[in-house]
Amino acid sequence: MAGQLITQTSVPTAPTAAVPWGPRARAATTRIALVLLKRALLLAALLALVFAGVELLPGDAASATSERGESAADLALRRHALGLDRPVLERFWDWMSGLPTGDLGTSAHGERVADLVTTAFPNTLVLSGTALLLTALLSVTLASWAALRPEGRLDRIVTGASTAVFAVPEFVVAVALVLVLSLWTGWLPAVTLTDSDGTPSSWTMLILPVLALTVPQTGWNTRIARAALADEARAPYVEAAVFDGLAPRRVLLLHVLPGALPTIAAGLATSSGVLLGGAVAVETIFNYPGIGAVLTSAVADRDTPVIAGVTMLAGAAITVVLLVADLLRDVLTAGRR
Amino acid sequence: MDLTRRQLLVAGGALGATALLAACGGGGDAKSTESPGSGAEKPRKGGTLRVGALGRASAITRDPHGTQSNESDYLIISLVYDTLTVPGSKPNTMPRLAAGWKASDDLRTWRFTLAKGATFHDGSPVTAADVVFSLKRLRATPSGASRLPGIQARNITAEGDDTVVLVSDYANAELPLLTRLTTFVVPEGTADDDIAKAPGTGPFKLDWFRGGNARLVRTPNWYGGDVHLDAIEVKIFESPQAMANALLAGQIDLASNAGAVAARSAKSRGDIQTVRRPNDMAVPIVMRTADGPFADPKVREALRLAVDRKAMVEQVLSGYGTVANDILGTGDPAYAKSIPQRTRDLAKARQLLKEAGFDTSKTYEILTTEDISGLAESATLFATQVREAGVKVKVVKQESAVFWDSTWLKGDLYTTYWGTNDSVVFFASKTMVSDSGQNEAGWQDTAFDTAYQKAIGTADATRRTQLLQEMQQIEYDSSGYLLWGMADGVDLAAAKVRGLPTLPGYGRVQLEKTWLAS
Amino acid sequence: MKASTRSVLPRVIPAALLVTLALAGPWLIPHAVDKPVTMPFGEPGHGAPLGGDQLGRDVLSRLLAGGRELVLSALLIAVVVTAVAAVVGTIGALRPVVGRVVERAADMLILLPAVLGVMLVALSWPGGGRLAVIVAAVALGLPYAVRLTAGAAAPVAASGYVEAAAAGGERLWFLVVREVLPNLRATLLALLGLRFVEAVYVVSMAGFLQVGPQPPAADWALMIRENSSGILLNPWAVIAPSAAVGLLALSVNLAAAALAPQTGRKAATLL
Repeated sequence: MAGQLITQTSVPTAPTAAVPWGPRARAATTRIALVLLKRALLLAALLALVFAGVELLPGDAASATSERGESAADLALRRHALGLDRPVLERFWDWMSGLPTGDLGTSAHGERVADLVTTAFPNTLVLSGTALLLTALLSVTLASWAALRPEGRLDRIVTGASTAVFAVPEFVVAVALVLVLSLWTGWLPAVTLTDSDGTPSSWTMLILPVLALTVPQTGWNTRIARAALADEARAPYVEAAVFDGLAPRRVLLLHVLPGALPTIAAGLATSSGVLLGGAVAVETIFNYPGIGAVLTSAVADRDTPVIAGVTMLAGAAITVVLLVADLLRDVLTAGRR
Repeated sequence: MDLTRRQLLVAGGALGATALLAACGGGGDAKSTESPGSGAEKPRKGGTLRVGALGRASAITRDPHGTQSNESDYLIISLVYDTLTVPGSKPNTMPRLAAGWKASDDLRTWRFTLAKGATFHDGSPVTAADVVFSLKRLRATPSGASRLPGIQARNITAEGDDTVVLVSDYANAELPLLTRLTTFVVPEGTADDDIAKAPGTGPFKLDWFRGGNARLVRTPNWYGGDVHLDAIEVKIFESPQAMANALLAGQIDLASNAGAVAARSAKSRGDIQTVRRPNDMAVPIVMRTADGPFADPKVREALRLAVDRKAMVEQVLSGYGTVANDILGTGDPAYAKSIPQRTRDLAKARQLLKEAGFDTSKTYEILTTEDISGLAESATLFATQVREAGVKVKVVKQESAVFWDSTWLKGDLYTTYWGTNDSVVFFASKTMVSDSGQNEAGWQDTAFDTAYQKAIGTADATRRTQLLQEMQQIEYDSSGYLLWGMADGVDLAAAKVRGLPTLPGYGRVQLEKTWLAS
Repeated sequence: MKASTRSVLPRVIPAALLVTLALAGPWLIPHAVDKPVTMPFGEPGHGAPLGGDQLGRDVLSRLLAGGRELVLSALLIAVVVTAVAAVVGTIGALRPVVGRVVERAADMLILLPAVLGVMLVALSWPGGGRLAVIVAAVALGLPYAVRLTAGAAAPVAASGYVEAAAAGGERLWFLVVREVLPNLRATLLALLGLRFVEAVYVVSMAGFLQVGPQPPAADWALMIRENSSGILLNPWAVIAPSAAVGLLALSVNLAAAALAPQTGRKAATLL
């Protein structure tokens, strides 16, 4: 969540619009490759940080998964079996070198990490992806609606309400939703159960978790979108369009919104990271089979390969969203030049 | 939601399994509900039972001999695989894959005879060689020495096709008890990589397993008797609350270990039954006897007299439990009911503290963790109660890993929990004999050691009971435990579920006799 | 959006009231926070207007007592983050090398699930309790805040008089404290308000994850967590602290938006 208070998610890059089309496409490809490389390096650095971080925690995976009554010798045996008697740098290197083959190592309980996350990660992607999409739709709609009548009653309500909800933790929203929409009224399933393929057995089970994630994020993104629209509305060409006598709705859709989109997209990209973080609490409350629950219990077990695997996947997902937001900004700014 | 719950299956010895006391909250009604179906109703065949059990996704394990910390995994494994013996009520050890057992006169060599007609799910018969392979595999795990105490790998041998011989390093009258919970049998030669696919011999066989959830189908012609259900679906739940919510919303039929608060929440619901399994979980407070401020027996006696046990059971366990008497093993048929119940006596507690010269100006710390709900709460209430006897105690809650690493077995005053409570000898051997590996209070008492050695070396039942009583009296007088109460195991089930297990601890996984009324 | 006193006051008063109540709460409690007065999750009534919690302790008393430390920690986090970000961000604007390092750190941290960050920092310091969470929140929040202040400081740093002062051989700290920072007041005030709201979120999330404040302390986030099992028996034990956290976040947010001068407000909405 600490990442919420920014919208510019990456370093602004030099405009590419001045270059003719052919070389420009090539330049764009090179640029994307460079950005990807940079982000991959950052992710690797982050993973190293995570390895080191887990190392600093009191206790280790061997003692955390041992059973009562194991002697010091038993514990040493367990430590050796888990490879914890090797230097952390070596274990980090081993884990990293398994990455290209899709090998994410073995959990402290002897399961393949890849198996643990292949079911959980797509579920989390569905949950956060749906929430992100819904957030985008709701926030742009609400903000545009409010922007049609600046300082009007609707504008005040939207601005006020979005301020109200954006700082409410997801778990508070989640608890309230379960209580009202499930336990008291019985309208929706209280928890998520899964089928043999590991996915939720009914789409209705997604509603409450998605809502719990969407409500705070919509608050945040509506604020951003509203501010971006207000900014853009002051641009000269928009004023020109207004003077031309275009209907406010048309001005908004054709002139204001496209200009505000890069900022809105950047805000949503930031939200993707926050959504993954918020998923931890929401998944626990709704028993949703995602990586959030995997992550917290892996930290309790000092289970480095699992923690690293989850971090890697989450980081990769966020990277993709950031990249899309960057590209969108480039395309839109290029188009307007 | 207990993020740090670990070691649910804390198997100190084959049976030290720690049942999970889920969502124990606080006090209230104390009327027990009988599990229906134990009566005359004729079991109906068929149907699928959806069971919720607690577990963490990252801690999933498929290995029957692995480190199991998920109840859900343990439930699946014990329905698919069989142990040599299983928990019972009286006696507390019942036959399963072993139809019978017999000891040599010196109580060191034990012969287990395998059940007739037992086969693996692939049709092949179970032989002594399979059992020997499995026990040796179990013995070779890091926790093998504590799961099969006193039995070395080379002393596990086969005698013919249907007899397994275990030779203990010392006389042990209760050896069959050790084979109850973790001696799962897989076919001889199963490779570690194939362990998840190894056929079992249990009442159900695995249909599918995915992310901690599983579907099990009935084993046709199971050697152990009629199995009524067509299938069992096991659903993994990270938090007891989510599991209780699922049951309340009708998404599952049985919430295993849902806890007292969930039971109270469901009380007004006519379509939900509560199963209470007494003596499920011991949540004692440990006072270090070896050294430190509680080394003086008078101080420990004073603290035992300072707690209001009834209030503890009411507030911490919501009344879903019983008052205990500082003796562990309350479910043992040989439990000493004749020893008078300790009750609160603040005046005497103050006097004892004075006699012992206890420094009441200092503030002492009670260390606790939140592995199971009820632990931190009991420490909190303990602190509030003993303040009335003039002892200042501050509650310090530690993260699970830190607690087990630095406080357990070492701290002066801390909470602990044990899920197997049907054997006095078990606790003596694990936690109270001077040289026991998990001597939580650092307690050493020669009279107790002598009584224990005699008890496990005595074949005669009456004489043994006497020795066990003697042990319990010493434990009551001077051990480091303050056992204020025993928590009930509380399961919630839909009204149509019949024949639910009522045994404490891991007896609750025995779902082979369960059935669904139409 | 004129920020006249008349329109500012109504938006500041709720936050002021709530913060005052949270700070004074521990002196107002009707019952001891550690003594059971009802049965666990007892219904409201009998001297406990909001009923009992998981141990039968008075929910109202724990609610009154459970806000002070949350508010104080959030305030501390907000002040530290803003102050450090102001100085480092300004240095970053004056010295591009520092700026690039901060930029990279922020790029990396955005890939880290914040929950994991908080857990790693807080758990590596057993017994650190609330202080550990404060450290974690500061560490995770700083790069973004620095990036923002650096962005705001850049035009100021490039302005003629600062460049003139720099060329005149003024020392770095002088440039930072005397020339640049005073021009960032609006941005910093807006940042402070938002950081406070953000800190409330992080601190209560940490409580939910069981790192930071520990039982038996009375704390709003802890109350939500430990009482959620009894939500059907006494919903107030969960609803009351949830509402408290929500209202605190909301009212401070409103106040921050109202207090921030016009130039800063844009930063606040666009951070």
